[in-house]
Amino acid sequence: MGQVSNERLLEQTETVKEMIQTCIQCGTCTASCPNNEFMDITPRHMWRLLLTDHADAVFSSKSFIMCSSCYYCTLRCPRGLELTHAMSLLKQAASKLKLKQFQRSSLFYEAFLDSVKKHGRVREMEFMTNYFISMKNPVIPFAYASLGLKLMAKGKVRPEFPFGGKGKLTALFKKVAELEG
Amino acid sequence: MNKAIGKTLVAGAGLSGIRSALDLAETGYKVLLIDKSDHIGGLLCQLDNQFPTSKCGYCRMLPMFDRDKSSQHCLRKGLFHENIEILLSTQLISVEGEPGDLTITLKQNPSLIDSSLCTGCGECERVCPVLVNDSFNEGLTKRKAIYLPSPQSFSNAYTIDYTACTRCGECEKICPTGAIKFTEQDREKFKILVVDDEKIVRDSMKEWLKEEGFSVTTADSGQKALELMDDRSFNMMLTDIKMPGMDGVELLAKAKEKNEDLCVIMMTAYAAVDSAVDAMKQGALDYLTKPFDPDVLIAMTKKVYHEFEIAEGRVEQVDALILAGGTQFFKPELGKNPYGYGVLPGVVTGMEFERLISGTGPGKGKLIHPKTSRPVRKIAWFQCVGSRDVQTGAGFCSNVCCMISIKEAILAKEKFGPDIEATIFYMDMRTIGKSFDEYKLNAQNENQVRFVRARIHSLDENVAKGDGSLVARYVDMGGNIHKDDFDLVVLATGQRPAELMTEAALKNSIETNQWGFIETGSFSMVKTSRPGILSGGSLSGLKDISESVTCASAAALEACKIMHEAGKQIIGAADAGAIDADDMEDLAVMARENPRILTVLCSCSSDFSQRLDLESLKSHLDRIPENESVEIMDKLCTDEGWQTLIDMIQKTNPNRLVLGACLPCIHKHRIKELGKAAGFHPSLVETLDIISILNQYPDLEISKMTQRINRELKILISKARFKNPVPNERLESNQNALVIGGGIAGITAALSIADCGYHVDLVEKNDTIGGNLVWMDKTVDGLDIQEYLDEKVRQLESHSQVTIHKKTSIESAASHPGEIATLLKKEGETNDLGETILHGVTILATGGSQAPLEPDVDDSLKILTQKEFEIVVQDRKIEPEKLNTVVMIQCSGTRDEKHNYCSRVCCIRALKNALFLKEKNPDVQVYILYRDMMSYGFFEEYYTEAKQAGVIFFQYDSANKPVTEMHEDKVLVKTFDLLLDMPVEIEADCVIHATGILPDLPETLADQYGAALDTFHFFKEADSKFRPVDSMNYRVFSCGLSLKPCTIEEAVATAEAAAIRAIRILSHERLVSGKTVADTRTAICSLCELCVDTCPYGARSVDRLEEKIVIDPAACQGCGVCAAVCPSGSAVLEGLDMRLMLDSIDMVLS
Repeated sequence: MGQVSNERLLEQTETVKEMIQTCIQCGTCTASCPNNEFMDITPRHMWRLLLTDHADAVFSSKSFIMCSSCYYCTLRCPRGLELTHAMSLLKQAASKLKLKQFQRSSLFYEAFLDSVKKHGRVREMEFMTNYFISMKNPVIPFAYASLGLKLMAKGKVRPEFPFGGKGKLTALFKKVAELEG
Repeated sequence: MNKAIGKTLVAGAGLSGIRSALDLAETGYKVLLIDKSDHIGGLLCQLDNQFPTSKCGYCRMLPMFDRDKSSQHCLRKGLFHENIEILLSTQLISVEGEPGDLTITLKQNPSLIDSSLCTGCGECERVCPVLVNDSFNEGLTKRKAIYLPSPQSFSNAYTIDYTACTRCGECEKICPTGAIKFTEQDREKFKILVVDDEKIVRDSMKEWLKEEGFSVTTADSGQKALELMDDRSFNMMLTDIKMPGMDGVELLAKAKEKNEDLCVIMMTAYAAVDSAVDAMKQGALDYLTKPFDPDVLIAMTKKVYHEFEIAEGRVEQVDALILAGGTQFFKPELGKNPYGYGVLPGVVTGMEFERLISGTGPGKGKLIHPKTSRPVRKIAWFQCVGSRDVQTGAGFCSNVCCMISIKEAILAKEKFGPDIEATIFYMDMRTIGKSFDEYKLNAQNENQVRFVRARIHSLDENVAKGDGSLVARYVDMGGNIHKDDFDLVVLATGQRPAELMTEAALKNSIETNQWGFIETGSFSMVKTSRPGILSGGSLSGLKDISESVTCASAAALEACKIMHEAGKQIIGAADAGAIDADDMEDLAVMARENPRILTVLCSCSSDFSQRLDLESLKSHLDRIPENESVEIMDKLCTDEGWQTLIDMIQKTNPNRLVLGACLPCIHKHRIKELGKAAGFHPSLVETLDIISILNQYPDLEISKMTQRINRELKILISKARFKNPVPNERLESNQNALVIGGGIAGITAALSIADCGYHVDLVEKNDTIGGNLVWMDKTVDGLDIQEYLDEKVRQLESHSQVTIHKKTSIESAASHPGEIATLLKKEGETNDLGETILHGVTILATGGSQAPLEPDVDDSLKILTQKEFEIVVQDRKIEPEKLNTVVMIQCSGTRDEKHNYCSRVCCIRALKNALFLKEKNPDVQVYILYRDMMSYGFFEEYYTEAKQAGVIFFQYDSANKPVTEMHEDKVLVKTFDLLLDMPVEIEADCVIHATGILPDLPETLADQYGAALDTFHFFKEADSKFRPVDSMNYRVFSCGLSLKPCTIEEAVATAEAAAIRAIRILSHERLVSGKTVADTRTAICSLCELCVDTCPYGARSVDRLEEKIVIDPAACQGCGVCAAVCPSGSAVLEGLDMRLMLDSIDMVLS
């Protein structure tokens, strides 16, 4: 892990490690995961890495980012571990540490939430534009062009930029930030 | 006898209940054995094959000596013992009092069938119109409301399913012996009051209920109803809620004031269910929503009536109570049901699979898919369904499912050919017994059972294939996802506490653990929180057959102690009903008389005459000269018929009797009754069960059938002709015990026997007693071992009935009938001749020890065994606070080629030590390197606890064992992480090896007492399942580590079991033999001793002084092997001689 040391990562994943301490590596989570084939290491492998203090290896993979929070693993874990929650804690840690390899996902989430914060809902055009700007890479938008056009043709994405409709969610977001410290 | 006979109630007549009951009955105490079901035998009735023999073996629990006191047939068929009273369909309600004086209330379901009259002809079943799911086959087949409780039942007595029976009366009409009697007239005694303001409702209800035979009175208002209640009493009231004037709820309150026991059922419109529910809170039993179906009304009324029928409790006065309610299986359809049990085709529980492959199951021995009837080829077993799964409320391991699944997989292969593909999906394969690991390896290598370490997340139907096959998705150790198709999936369902028993336990304030299993005291597997109440078998959780049997015996021992302490007597041999010495002369006279045979045939209310030509049979048999007379009688099974037989005997004065009838008449105890009533000796009666032959060949024509029966009867007549009435021999038996080994098992066995009033000699080779417990500090549960040991040693040393021989070994031993002589040798004594002890039983409790570390590397306290670690920590030579990293290596030298068994205790010990280290020093890093974590049963909790405490577990496989290297002042441990697929190196301050247990039972010692060792050098049990502490020699037992690897608690249980098995023998001054025993014609015996070596029971020995073969008649089981092996024909079996055999053959051929 180039930018952040394993020790620092371990500090950040302490809570997750405690959460999954009673894992017996049965593999139920992995066999159940619908996104497993998109993951470079399996969930079970990832829990094992965390338990054996290889946090750097966890963060050099992108498995936890692929979690779509379907809660399938949590539902069936024989040890009753809250695995989906553990996944989201890892995502939060990655965002907090501003790890480069997760920048794309973190910025994507941020841009999404910015739009929600402002308007109380997602404004696709503004959201994607902000995301592209934050990525500071002029090539990225082209990769999304064909998908964008398809969505637009089906009316799934509204082309216009939003006006007004100032969101009233600021208080809510503030409270959440407060709670999360 | 002026003192009362001891009596114990055993609740539950399954495996463990029968064991407890038989142990006590054989000792000579009275037992009342009850069961809530309608047959005895419990769960095992449904299981045909047991691991490791793939056979049953239930019968091996039957008494070995004084056999004629009890039935000698399959225990799944039933049980009879003179000292045991059996009550079926009976439940335990309450227990009051103290040990030695318990008052127990029972509730017994009424039986509509007189089992002494039922011949099992099956006519009733044929006419019964009601079809319901057959619980015996786990609902896989259907049965009638009148049915045989189990296909093996011996007396073939039918029984009625009260909840399903409509009381149509068809069976009553057709029963040829009049065994079925519906108590319809009793229904008239059940008085019902119907209160409703609508006439039409009142009248129609009255009509419906009257049709069912109940007495019904009606009232149109609450006021009227109360007036009626002043005049007479009612059992049940059905009342409308909404009525003008007094409403139903008010009436309920007032009626309850008058009669507290009145059952009230509320009737209400659908919209007003709330008020009915409120009424139930105020004491109403149930409610009906209007408009209602008459069937619902009648069903509800019948239910109330049934409760009313059985409300009469039976009160019993006993000394002790043994709860043996067994276990229940987890129901996978409850909860999240991830495997679609009951939804997907082809998902069955383990028990259902056992029924599927059974000869008495739905496929009659063929394996067919339960839903689609397709052939089954690929079968998967899913382990840990409802165990080790907090999502199903089970933080424990169910202990037995791993072995059950392996057995089922092997059975499937054995029964249906090698084409069957068997796969077992598991988390840890818990092969936690001495031969279990070997069995698993056999399954894997010989039977090609596939073992996959994976837990299945969920199961789906293979829609693409559309043939009803199932697809399971799992991940292998390397992280690769697999999808496998299966025809059948067997769920290895975990155990749950038996519902009714738990209920009874709670009511009687007996403590249960957090999962509802009965809690037993410290270092005991049988003592509950209430004195005088004991738990036998799997009621306290999760036991296989041998453990259940061991605990059941241990519970019997505790009951025996209670009865002894309360000063209760046993039934002496004189009361035993065996042939007395006085009889012997009469018998000898009778044997010399010419045979005068009376042959009696029952016509079974002309049933037999329809299938048999009784008259021609009579004339055939009349021609045999010894046949004094042949009589045809009717309904021998009735009291009237039986009396005719007694009269006939008194009139004709025969000296032999041949009886051709049906089962109820030829029951052993019935024949014994005959002896009492007509002065006729039971051993001179020969019986033929005609009805079973008729049922066996239903299509045989009359003439052929007559021929067949004729032939069978002729054999019996020939037998009767040559019958030599042999008295049951009485053998003087020594009443002292010898216990070899002064470890906890030896101490417990000695104390238990001494506490029951018999003298014990305890021999210990060291100068201290206590064995392995001396170096132990605490158990994993935190119990203080030293305190426990000190107390036991104190009790032992101060016991008047115990003589302790320290620093003493066994020089030699010799067995004689009824007595064993052991020559002791005291260490350091120069005198050649040591002390000789005479004793009746021997308990080998020589123990075992932890295997040494090979090679024993150094003494620098870096590489230790578990025992060494525990000792150095106690001595503060290692201080946990100063350690940084500790590695524990499990299965170090066990479960390999050399010691191919699991030592059972090492994983628990590792968890204990890891938790200890973490407690003393939370910063210490502990790694446990294991193959399968054997944290069986409730120990699973400590596995979870260790994980929570931060202990890291690495799994390794046997092909790639961890290696250690000394690295300056550290030890470098190299292993391989199978999940991360990478080598791991750990620098440890200290490495602790779990080296397993080695037994310490010299073969020469076992041999001297006629016991044997198994392949692992432990004591070889007579039967590893059903006689787990006995040897083939009936006077030798073993317990503790010399028997098998076990925890302290388990060692104590085996010791208590061995003690009661010994007391069974010690309690008799004279032992009574069975009727058929071997003898030797000394005059023609050449003393080749072939018979001595051949006898499997050690019944034969050589008397060197007299120079002859002597036989222990109590040990002899009458198997006849000696007669077969004897070259000179001097070994004979009394009652089965050559003359008789040849004559029988002649008779059949004539």
